[in-house]
Amino acid sequence: MTTVLAEGFNAFETTKSPEGTVKYLGSPQDVIQLLSSGKLAEHILLVRGGTTTFLSPALSMGAIGIITMSGAPESHLGILSREFQTPCVMTAYLTSSDSRYVVGKSGDAHFEEMAANLEGKHVRLDVTDSEVGRVVLMD
Amino acid sequence: MTIEAEVGKRATYKDRYKEEDDGLRFQDLEFVGNFIDLPPLKDGILGDKVQKERAQSKVLERVTKDDVLKDQFTIPELNDLNNYLAWNVWDVLVMRATEGVSGMIPRQEYEILAFMHEFYRWPEFLRMTTDEVGAQGILDIGAQSRREIGTKVNGVHDWCIGAVGFGMGRCGLLALDAIKPNDYVEESNEILKFMQRVLYGKRQDGFILNSQDRYRARIHDTDFLQTIIDQIEPLEEGSPRHEQFTRFNAAAELLAFLDHFDCRLGLGDTGPYELPNGNIVIIRDLFVNEEEYHWSDVCGDAGLPHAYTLAIEIDPNAMGLAEIRVNDISTTFTRPKNYIPAIVGGAVFAREKWDTPMANIQTIKIQDLPAQLAKVQQATIKLYTKMSKMSKRELIWAGHDVYYQGMILPHLRRAGTWDKAVQDLQLKEVDQRIANYYYDIQKRGFAQETVPQKIFSGAGYLPFGEKADIRASKASWLF
Repeated sequence: MTTVLAEGFNAFETTKSPEGTVKYLGSPQDVIQLLSSGKLAEHILLVRGGTTTFLSPALSMGAIGIITMSGAPESHLGILSREFQTPCVMTAYLTSSDSRYVVGKSGDAHFEEMAANLEGKHVRLDVTDSEVGRVVLMD
Repeated sequence: MTIEAEVGKRATYKDRYKEEDDGLRFQDLEFVGNFIDLPPLKDGILGDKVQKERAQSKVLERVTKDDVLKDQFTIPELNDLNNYLAWNVWDVLVMRATEGVSGMIPRQEYEILAFMHEFYRWPEFLRMTTDEVGAQGILDIGAQSRREIGTKVNGVHDWCIGAVGFGMGRCGLLALDAIKPNDYVEESNEILKFMQRVLYGKRQDGFILNSQDRYRARIHDTDFLQTIIDQIEPLEEGSPRHEQFTRFNAAAELLAFLDHFDCRLGLGDTGPYELPNGNIVIIRDLFVNEEEYHWSDVCGDAGLPHAYTLAIEIDPNAMGLAEIRVNDISTTFTRPKNYIPAIVGGAVFAREKWDTPMANIQTIKIQDLPAQLAKVQQATIKLYTKMSKMSKRELIWAGHDVYYQGMILPHLRRAGTWDKAVQDLQLKEVDQRIANYYYDIQKRGFAQETVPQKIFSGAGYLPFGEKADIRASKASWLF
């Protein structure tokens, strides 16, 4: 039986189903550090925003999968993930929580709960559905 | 090579071009705007139809050259354009606007500053430019893009003049209570006339926006377009060459976003252009090195041109294409969403400088793309590192410049009035009112919540009132 940890908008539909350990990236320095470690391909990246600039080098160098806590397929990161064919679940929410992202209103608590519950988990992204992307627990 | 698909077997996108068709819905949200007592508007083709039905004037229908050359819009025309642009902004951006904080660039802050600055100061630059080249000259600036690739006189920049400089700028200032609905009517006219003239000159079908034409931006002259299409190389999904092309497209698009501070001004799609074999082509400009921006030096150092242009051939049957929108911010969205596997051909071009003649455009073979990709990736890393060291204030004002300067840069550059605007009219200075707003917009969620809510709900685009006068500017500063 599969456990769906989180769901969100699916940036684009694909049969690609990347697996990796969730890594939360909170600052540009985190992004640079991950790239320097050479372990980019081991991780599903978890970020707050749906913009492109923050993840630019990670996208360019071959990120395998992304989970965002805000944004939609029409957001810049949604567009770019489609172009890179990097599966991306956007505005993800925890299936075990009632907390949902609200534009301009969600406080740190929402994002921190997401990061705390997903960071370090070994997951697979299921993005075959045209609308809903799912974060599936693997272990 | 193209896939010899059975044309029309699976793709249904052409149904969207039938008069009676209302298009697909790309989102569940609805738009109210100033239509408080009427049913809310939907996105897409249906939204455009209803707007046209509700218009008080004919300005949303196909207009004539004589209409466009008139000096001013009437108040009903201004209100129709205000309502339409408010809906259009919502239509293309409401879902994007859920993307939250960047984590790197304070985009909401720089955007709102730039919107308001544009509304205050652009009328002066646009009037001067119109005085220099004449109304017909503005049409000609738009028309020139019919025979060019790698030009920023494109849909998104033209749209920004009206939708951002007028629409969002006025909306922000109204929200800040800095202006009243009947202020700056003359200046509003100046901005919107400039936009209408450029877009009319470019489209030459009577419409000004892609959404008025079922999201088509087929602007290129047929003979010019053929010279581009002739260079398309066949690509097979899953092959290394397909991967080289699509990866280059993505990486260059990413750098184009980054060089423009995470905004859409770095990209420009036109199309869809239908080929005799039933496939469609999107022409995509990716501006990876804007020399006007000092941070773009890393792109120059990497040996990047001003722009790459990609011709992307898509087999609509391979993806069962149900609708394709090239929207007014020059971005392509499809249903189904993923068009990449349906790419069956591609060509890449480079324009060295913004004014490099079309005769000197370079064609880059698909097999040579890995070398170009390496340059793009190098510039991306360097630019990212550079931006990560900038302070919040530096980031906000740099982003502000990308909007406030960059949105009209192409038009003034082509008109030959950019230097005059910079030197004589001090375009690159920051108006004192805007400098003061720098602090105001960062209080009480003004940039993060208040203005986005006004802009994307449509509630902030207040109409010009019954007492509005097309001659009016800002007469008083009272209550």
